[in-house]
Amino acid sequence: MSVVLSPGSVEDAVAMLAEHAEAMPLAGGATLVAMRNAGLVEPTHLINLDCIAELRGIERDTTGGIRIGAMTRHCDTAACNDLTGSLLVLRRAAGMIANRVVRNMGTMGGSVANADPAADYLPALACCDAVLEVAGPEGRRKISIHDYVQGWYETALEQGEIITAITLPAPVAAPSAYRKIARVTGDYATASCAMALDPDGKGLRAAIGACGPGPLRDRDAEAVLRGRLDDPEAVLDFAACLAALADPLDDVRGSAEYRLRLIPRLITSVLSEIALQTEVA
Amino acid sequence: MKIEGNFEVDHPRAEVWDKIRDPQVMGGCIPGCDSVEQVDDTSYRVKVSVKVGPIKAHFNLSVEVLEEDPPHTIVSRTSGEEGTRSSVVNSDNVVRLAETGTGGTRVDYIADVSVTGRLGKFGLGIFRKKADQLAEQFVVNFRDRLGVAQ
Repeated sequence: MSVVLSPGSVEDAVAMLAEHAEAMPLAGGATLVAMRNAGLVEPTHLINLDCIAELRGIERDTTGGIRIGAMTRHCDTAACNDLTGSLLVLRRAAGMIANRVVRNMGTMGGSVANADPAADYLPALACCDAVLEVAGPEGRRKISIHDYVQGWYETALEQGEIITAITLPAPVAAPSAYRKIARVTGDYATASCAMALDPDGKGLRAAIGACGPGPLRDRDAEAVLRGRLDDPEAVLDFAACLAALADPLDDVRGSAEYRLRLIPRLITSVLSEIALQTEVA
Repeated sequence: MKIEGNFEVDHPRAEVWDKIRDPQVMGGCIPGCDSVEQVDDTSYRVKVSVKVGPIKAHFNLSVEVLEEDPPHTIVSRTSGEEGTRSSVVNSDNVVRLAETGTGGTRVDYIADVSVTGRLGKFGLGIFRKKADQLAEQFVVNFRDRLGVAQ
């Protein structure tokens, strides 16, 4: 049995997590409740984050940057009209998570905290250069998405810390897209790709998901590719740089070797998809 | 699931063999090893804790050395349960020591591991990654225990 506590503020939630050594924060519960029912985790207390106003909603700040409260449901992210242009990739990723039931339940903070390597948000957030706002017993701090995943299901979150929000730079008018290859619609990704074109159309940002403990992004290779997007060989060289960073699993969704082969396919197909968007626009 | 790998150390094979057959040294090198208890000459009881993300598991293992050919080969079998939980782990292990041309030792290991029960649900792919990570940590710890080659 787990005791459910429902704090009204981030400070209270952090205090409750500090007080009970085997407590776990409960966000949407889409994953955690299933894991608990399967006996994979046995928290003595579930600290329900659902009653904390600060964790809700999507807001624009004065500079146009976007702050997504950690408890924002996937369905709300998938329908958010503020996520345009370079940030559309995040909206698309949210809309491809699992199924409607899970999207109505699951939250961005919960998904990011769980850091499943095959889940959809991490590559999209890496593509958007997101920053995580977290709160814990030592106070509040920010973590770049690029420093966040530290191993398989291991993150920069310290004991007792929770994610309070995900912040994104202001969207710019440039196409972006998310694609995942999965066994069936709604499954975790076998491999996925989040990509955004630079506003001038000469370069891109791309992150590969499900091919290592965290999203794969190579900003040096992106710099090399800049100005050469119409050179297929340069694009394949870029994909090879990302594949070199990969450390894929062999599992029911695909072999490690198959995943490595998907990386260049994803890069070239998503690039042609967003190039088409540019032509239409 | 087969987990295999190898590593080299600068120390002579006889010394490496002594360390590998010393349960206290091994207990100190296995990541997450809480205790090692020698039952008799060839059997041991070992407690190990493993963490994968939010999932924590505590295993009570018995290790039986089935064959040994000093200072070349040890064949052992590990079996055990996860506390009172339903996960069962079995593993057949072979460790081989070979002399390198430069006075050091090459250690090759193969373990054929099966996991059933609640942890089996989590998928073996992630266990393999975790096992590789633990093996790397073991090698670091083992090198520390050997100290600087004489």
